[in-house]
Amino acid sequence: MDFRNPYREDTSIQDNAIRETNDDAITSKFSAVNTGYIKDDFVKFFVKKPARRPPIINRGSYVRNKQLDFLITKFLDIGGSDVKKQIVSLGAGSDTRYFHFKSLSRKFYKYFEIDYPEVTSKKVFTIHKHKELFNLIGSDAKIGKGGTEIYASDYCLLAGDLRKFVEVLVPRMESNGFDRSIPTLFLSECVMIYMDPEDSNKIVEWAGANLISTMFLVYEQILPNDAFGSTMLQNLKLRNIELRGIHAYPNLESQKSRFLSRGWSHAEAIDINEIHDSHIDPKELARMSKLEILDELEEWHLLAAHYCIAWAYKVIDESQKLLYDQVRFVDYRKKGRKGQSC
Amino acid sequence: MGQSDLDVQIEKLRNCELISEDEVKELCNKAREILIEESNVQRVNAPVTICGDIHGQFYDLKELFKVGGDCPETNYLFLGDFVDRGFYSVETFLLLLALKVRYPDRITLIRGNHESRQITQVYGFYDECLRKYGSICVWRHCCEIFDYMSLAAIIEDKIFCVHGGLSPNINTIDQIRTIDRKQEVPHDGAMCDLLWSDPDDIEGWGLSPRGAGYLFGGDVVERYLHNNNLELIARAHQLVMEGYRLMFNDTIVTVWSAPNYCYRCGNVAAILELDDKLNKNYKKFDAAPQEVRGLPAKKPAPDYFL
Repeated sequence: MDFRNPYREDTSIQDNAIRETNDDAITSKFSAVNTGYIKDDFVKFFVKKPARRPPIINRGSYVRNKQLDFLITKFLDIGGSDVKKQIVSLGAGSDTRYFHFKSLSRKFYKYFEIDYPEVTSKKVFTIHKHKELFNLIGSDAKIGKGGTEIYASDYCLLAGDLRKFVEVLVPRMESNGFDRSIPTLFLSECVMIYMDPEDSNKIVEWAGANLISTMFLVYEQILPNDAFGSTMLQNLKLRNIELRGIHAYPNLESQKSRFLSRGWSHAEAIDINEIHDSHIDPKELARMSKLEILDELEEWHLLAAHYCIAWAYKVIDESQKLLYDQVRFVDYRKKGRKGQSC
Repeated sequence: MGQSDLDVQIEKLRNCELISEDEVKELCNKAREILIEESNVQRVNAPVTICGDIHGQFYDLKELFKVGGDCPETNYLFLGDFVDRGFYSVETFLLLLALKVRYPDRITLIRGNHESRQITQVYGFYDECLRKYGSICVWRHCCEIFDYMSLAAIIEDKIFCVHGGLSPNINTIDQIRTIDRKQEVPHDGAMCDLLWSDPDDIEGWGLSPRGAGYLFGGDVVERYLHNNNLELIARAHQLVMEGYRLMFNDTIVTVWSAPNYCYRCGNVAAILELDDKLNKNYKKFDAAPQEVRGLPAKKPAPDYFL
């Protein structure tokens, strides 16, 4: 299934629409940065047309970025930050997480980003253009494959189709330093949801079967069958976006069993309402309430119920479970209750 | 502006066509003369049909008129939030305002929390005026009218109608009558609370997660009804998926009249018809079909996280 094959027009229209979701996501992130929800000095380089998003979208961008960052940081801390770790960001698009973490002096053994060449070529161009970005990658960075890839000491941007992850991308990652023996985090931020489940499952299965200790972190849509969910599918379809994976993993339970049924050691899935209400520091909520009036409360609850963060880990050495169990959110509600009863 | 001019404008607006900036200015001048005479708590006679939030969903407002009957044949009470969020706040508000000027005794418009300078600058009405007229004059004229709109209505002395809800500063309807309403919606105080508060399953009063107004429980509603010799509170302000929702042993009802709110929520809408004996009849309706609705030239897609 080659996305550049002119005879497969339907597929290429859809692939294009999916690539455009990247612009949407980075524009939303930039809006959240500009409104003061999150800090990121690098998003600005990737945004073509800045736009102010409504408060619920800004709030949602905050939860998405902050809480994924939180879990990733927890993963990087497993066994101490000196333990070598790698990240594989699937469909990374214009994501700036590598640069953000690097600017905070976080260390990676290797941070892989994979996306369509149409997307990576733009990323290469932008990185090359701005020394603030290029300097973080390091002076030894090389650009390759017609300006669609970057190979650096702790960063590797690869162009490819995730539908050929095992056959094509794994060998390419391995020839660029991917190490099956070290803790590896896979990140799918609204990415596998656009794939046919049989394709995305192969990635989950491969990671679970071939790595010694690995973690998967997913942020994506759920609940396709209620009124809001079916309207969401219709609206996205008008933009040629199809959530091909949503019916296979339509709720929190199935988000977990995606991993557990494939032999992963442990899985969790929480919707964004729960994360917002229980796992964000009340001080942060108070700070945000001063940034913008969030009048669309009922709508926020609806929207947030239709997104989740799921994560799972697979370890061969059972004793590692305790370490991976530490990758979880802080429960502020519990803390609050405790505080009151003391 | 003669009546025939006004009728022409109403016809235009019914077709979702804009009227000129000068016409808006004149319409607003006329509307101000009418609204200035209305009380903070405007008296409304039954039969009347109560409508909740519209939010610029013009083609869904037309569905509402199809279901509820046209004005002036049907006597209407709109509970505010005419503007913001939808694609056609300008046409929606101006149509309702033109009907108000043409048939002042057959349509009552009270103020919602979105009828505010501050909120419309965040939620779309300001941008829409700027986009459609190339200047903010129309937005200014409309905001001035917002300041003159009633804060509440009372039907046959029995049903209290307000956009949001109650206020800890208000025990009697007469206290509402003493508010100087001709101002931008304040950030706190009685006037703010009437437009921002929500009923909730609590006792007494609670902090609102919206950052303005309060949450109030069934006991508060009971006391307020008793103090004022009322039967029911009808309010809007909160999206309810089923179009309307009764709470606290049917002492308060939320009416929501924007179907598939923001073209995203998948909810049905409702209006509440009261006959001359105040018998209630809820009518539900769906969003206008896509082909009727037409599409704005540059279609802004509903936002999701992608």
